[in-house]
Order: sequence, then C-alpha cells, then structure tokens
Amino acid sequence: MAVVIAVITLGFVGYLVVPGLDITAQEQPEIFVTHTGAVVQTTGDVLDPVYTVQEVEFDPEKYLRDFDYGEVSQLEDGTTLREFTIIAEDDKIMEIAPGIFYNVWTFNGQVPGPTIRATEGDLVRIHFTNNGDKEHTIHFHGNHPAEMDGIFEIVGSNGGQFTYEFIAGPVGVHPYHCHVMPVEEHIGHGLYGVFIVDPKDARQQADEMVMMLNGFDTDFDGENNLYAANTIPFYYQHHPIQVSTNELIRVYVVNMVGLDPINNFHLHGTLYKYYPTGTDMVPSEFTDMTTFSQSERGILEFEYEYTGRYMFHAHLTEFSEKGWSGVFYAKDSSQPNMEGYAYGS
Amino acid sequence: MQKIVLNQTWKGMLMEVKRSSRTKTAVSAVIPFVLLAVMIGYVFGPGSELIEFGVVLPEISIEKVEFVDSEIIATVRNTGPIAVDIVMADINDRIYPAAIEPDKHLERFESAIVRIPFEWNEGEPYAVGLTVDDGTRFEKQVDVAVQSIQPTAEMISYFALIGTYVGILPVLIGLLWFPFISKLSRSKYKFFLALTVGLLLFLGVSTAEEAIEISANNLSDIFNGILLVATVAVVSFLGLNYVGEKLRKRAGASKLAGPVAIALMIAIGIGLHNFGEGLAIGAAIVLGEAALGAFLIVGFALHNTTEGFAIAAPMARTKLMIGKLAALGMIAGVPAIFGAWVGGFVYSPLAAVIFLAIGTGAIFQVIVSIMRWIQNEEGKLSNSSVLAGIAVGMIIMYITSILI
Repeated sequence: MAVVIAVITLGFVGYLVVPGLDITAQEQPEIFVTHTGAVVQTTGDVLDPVYTVQEVEFDPEKYLRDFDYGEVSQLEDGTTLREFTIIAEDDKIMEIAPGIFYNVWTFNGQVPGPTIRATEGDLVRIHFTNNGDKEHTIHFHGNHPAEMDGIFEIVGSNGGQFTYEFIAGPVGVHPYHCHVMPVEEHIGHGLYGVFIVDPKDARQQADEMVMMLNGFDTDFDGENNLYAANTIPFYYQHHPIQVSTNELIRVYVVNMVGLDPINNFHLHGTLYKYYPTGTDMVPSEFTDMTTFSQSERGILEFEYEYTGRYMFHAHLTEFSEKGWSGVFYAKDSSQPNMEGYAYGS
Repeated sequence: MQKIVLNQTWKGMLMEVKRSSRTKTAVSAVIPFVLLAVMIGYVFGPGSELIEFGVVLPEISIEKVEFVDSEIIATVRNTGPIAVDIVMADINDRIYPAAIEPDKHLERFESAIVRIPFEWNEGEPYAVGLTVDDGTRFEKQVDVAVQSIQPTAEMISYFALIGTYVGILPVLIGLLWFPFISKLSRSKYKFFLALTVGLLLFLGVSTAEEAIEISANNLSDIFNGILLVATVAVVSFLGLNYVGEKLRKRAGASKLAGPVAIALMIAIGIGLHNFGEGLAIGAAIVLGEAALGAFLIVGFALHNTTEGFAIAAPMARTKLMIGKLAALGMIAGVPAIFGAWVGGFVYSPLAAVIFLAIGTGAIFQVIVSIMRWIQNEEGKLSNSSVLAGIAVGMIIMYITSILI
C-alpha cells in the first residue's frame, strides 16, 4: 500500500516537475518564419499570427472594397432614396485572430459593420433591428435631426426596432456606432462601421478602399491586446493588398480604436494627399504620416510609381507590432489582371 | 486426538469468522466511497444541470524563462480549472511568431515549452506574454536577460566546486570541533548539544521561510504554497521519525549506536537543508544575479561550519571514529553540489519548494530527536545550560545569517 502511494505520488510530482513530458508529441517537424526571415523548426505547434493561412470568419479582403449602396429608389420629387437594413447582435463568438475567440457585438454579423455609402442629398433610411440581449442604437456622425441621433432613442433588446432617416451630408467619411452607455464597451465589442457621403460631382475615378482602424481588449484589462486595419491583426501583411502602379488609390480611413487616445497611419514608398474628414475637396497636407484621435478620419489619395511591396502601418510601433500593419503590393499597370471595381453605381 | 481435531475445527471456524468480519470491515469502508462517487457523478457528471452557474476562467503560469542564442524559451503550465490552448506569444507586449512544444493544448497541470525567436540584449529586462484562446494574456517579468547556462562538463564541474566550497568543506571544518567538545564537562557538553538545537531551529525556520517565499513568488495559487510546504514538511517529519525509530531499534541498546544514529539524522537533515542552499546559489547564478550568488557562497560557507559542529556534538561522548565522522560530513555537505546542479540546470520552482519542505520536516525531526536524547540523558529539559544553549545557538545563526 505504502509503495503504491509512494509510486503514485512520485509519478504525479514527476509529471508536475518535468515540463513537456508528452509521449504523444508529433513527430513531423513544422517550420515557421520569424519577422526577420529566419526559418525555425519545431516538433510542436506554431503560434504565428502572421504567416498561417487565415481561416477566421471575417474576410478583410472582401470588406476592403465592399460598399453598400442600399436599395435604391426614386422619390416623387426626384430624390434618391437609399434603404438599408441593419441588425445588431451581441452573442457572436468570433475568431478575431488565429486561435483567439472573442465575443463580438455586430452590425449585420460583422465587425466592422457594412460600409454604408450614399451621395450628398440622398435620403438615407436605415431599418434597424436590435436582436441583441442588450439595448443598442446607431449613432451616425453627420447632419440629421436630433431625434435621428441615436442617443436618447434607445432601441430595446430582442427585436426592438427603429428607423433612422436623414438626408446624407455633409460630404466626407464618417463613422457610425452604437451610442448606448457604456459607449466604450459597445464600441470595444465591435458596434461600429463606416458611412461615406460622396459629393454630387463624383470624385476622380480611383481604386477605392476602406480601412477601419480598430483594436480589441480581449482580456478586459483596459489595454488593447490586438490592433488592426479591418479587424484581423496582420491580415494585409500576410495577404498584401493588390494595387496597380500609376493608378490613383483612395483610402477612406476611420479610427475607432478605443482605450488609446491616438492612433496613426504611415505609408511607405510614396506620399499621399490628405483630406481631413473628406469634407473639403482641397487636401490639407501632402504627407506620409497622419495622426488620428478617437473617431477622427480622413481620405488619403496616392499612387505608386514603382512596383513592389510597400508597408503601411501605425507608426506607433506598439500598435503595428500588435497587428496594425499591412502591405500594398504594387504591380505593373500595363499588365492589368485586377478585378474591376465599381464606383458610384 | 479428538480434542485436537476439535480444537483445529474451532480454530478454522474462528478464522472463518475473522475473515468474513474482515471482508465486512473492508466493505463497510468502501460503501461510503461508492456512494460519494455516485453522488458526485450525479451532481457534476455529464447531463447534470444542477451546477451550471458561474464562469470558469482559464489560468496559466509562466514558471521559467530562459535566454539562449536568438531565442527566448518560456516554460508554461496550465494552473487553471479548465484545459486551455496557448495561441499567441509576445515579448514586451509585441506579438512574435513562436513555437510551442509538445503542443499548444494544455490539460490541467500540463506544461509546455514556448520558443520565441528573438534577438535579445544581455542585461536588459524583458516581459514574456502568452495569450490563451479566450484572449486573456498572462505575463512574466524577467529583470535581467542572461544567457542560460547549459550543462556542459565545464559548468557541471564549476557548480560541483561551488557546492564543495559551500557544503562539504565548511561542514568538515566544523567537524574539527570534535576534540574540543569531547573534552568538555557534562554540563558544558549539554550546553553545546542544546546549541545544536538552537542552530537547527534557526535552519528549520529559515528553510520553511524560503520554501514559502519561492512558492509565493513563482508558484501559481493553485498549488496552495503554504499548505504544500506544511504537508510535505509534516510528511517528511513523520517519515524520518519512523526511519529514525527503526534505526535506533536496529542499533539495539548499544550505547554507541544511539549517538551515531542521531548524528546520522542530523547529517541527513542538514544535507537536505544544504540541498536548498545549493539550489539558491545555482538559481542565483543562472538568473544572472552574480553579486547575490557570491554573497550566498560566502554566507553559506560561514554558516555551514556550524553545521559540522551540530553533527560532531552528539558523537562527542563516543570514541573518535574519523571514518564515520567524515562520512556524516559528506552526507551533510554533498547535497549542496546536487542542489547547485538542480538549481543551475533544471531549476523548477515546484521541485525547489518540495525539496525545501522536505528539508524543513527533516530538520524539525532532528530537533525532536536531540531533545529526546537530552531528556533521556538528563531527565529534564529545563536545565539552565540546555536553555542557554538553544538561545545562543539561534543568536549565532541569526548573526551569521545577517552576513549573507
């Protein structure tokens, strides 16, 4: 009896003391590449937010150039009516980085919500349903009557409804987000999106894309664990954004990172014209670095002269090394194999 | 003849009765366990809906961080109530590609090695972070990055040398007090024997303190640090008591064997304590705390001569047995070398706490043995030379310990 106890005790202690004692360890070694290019071999699993193939549920590739123009109809007076349906939920668990599962609160099942796009003067009608367990609203930045502001008109949980209706304006790029208190929590969990108002005289034809700068405090310690352009950390670093040389690129950037007072955007290999909030047709700056406070946004216009891979990232290196970095892959425009992109349909 | 047969039958029947009653006893001992198992299975088992409230949070502990060429290696253990997946590694809160061996899934108490390729700089502080599948990040701070020591022949002999300086030589030097003690009068001898008790009391408390300190700093709460130390110490105390009793019985009434048995137990107890000292020195050198390592070596060496004295004291009334004395000195001193190896090459806080707790139990067991011996010889313990001896012993230890 004493011997049995001793053996069991020693076995248990041995199990605790000797790390990584596992006879089922896999025998096929795996390899991974470090940030600086070294190749490392392991008999175990690779923990790699950068180089594994993403199988996360949200597709930043699709979101990047996905614009929702709504259901379009004409009013009697000739005004264009754009109708949108937005449903809020707050029970989804999403893989926001490889292996990291987080309770996201979503507009139409995604973080960020759909990019809503209208032309100045259009009538925008948003049919909002709250299917969450908590109260939610949509607060649009821009011009609208007070009762369309999404502040005092709290939409009840489990099927509450509200219709937001306003004339799109002013021209520019704006955020929309839930404005139920605590707002930090509702935004932190993902209830936000981009609202673009195009000028009546269309902007110059360009390869247009949206970058929502966001972050996630996955362990609720008041500091973001992950940062990204469009939710998934390092996504565009592993899947470079394909662009063409000598073609105008227009990026609508909105900063919705909470908890940190500022964020920024830095572009490699060229400089861009910067239009703060996109409200003016004249750029305020020609630069490669812009600082964004919370909910600050703007439009960037640039083109690449040379082919190759160009980084874009937060110049706050903490943010860039926690996911907010990506790459433009500029190809020769004389050999176009790009998908067509529509503008102002 | 008949009577005998009858007698045997009776005996057989009696045995039967005894056996069946033994079975009954066994069954009656098992029944409550079975019922308890059934109840637990019903309440907590699959399909049970009784306990579904509350949220269980994952917890991992980074127990050790090592710095090797172009790589930082963290040893991580799942110390939470549920299995976890380790999914992300960072250095100073910056995410890095990494590998986890044997695999990223950790059952309760399971541990793994995380290898993070990183060009670290010697002498700088680093924080190693690991994130689990629900997004919770756990961190371990390292004050100074120093190249991890590999168990090369050179390092092994280096640690052996340090162990010799700290453990073996001082104890052997302390043993040289033997002729002095053996010439003392009876009451002075009692005083020095009691002095040994004082020395050991101090060592016992300091060993327990160190065990608790290591568990508080490096072990997850799940191990119940203080209770772990208490349990292991008490078990080691009882175990050694049992062994000591056996030793004494085997030695019989021989007046000679008694003192040797006590000296042997003192040597074993001190040996375990010195193992702990070796651990501390080895770990200090590995952690790059060179100054602390040097202080520990000098301090422990001074301190340990008193241990030689403690071994010599009970044997002072027997004739000089140089061979035995030297052997006891080695028993007490050599573990310092093993301690330095373990502390230097395979440092595990859990192992350290367990060894130190065993040492605590051993030392207190020795104290009890000596006190019992004094009582047998003297008849009472409240003798003034005994009390003075204990007090002076503790004071000496306290003063030498300040020098560390």
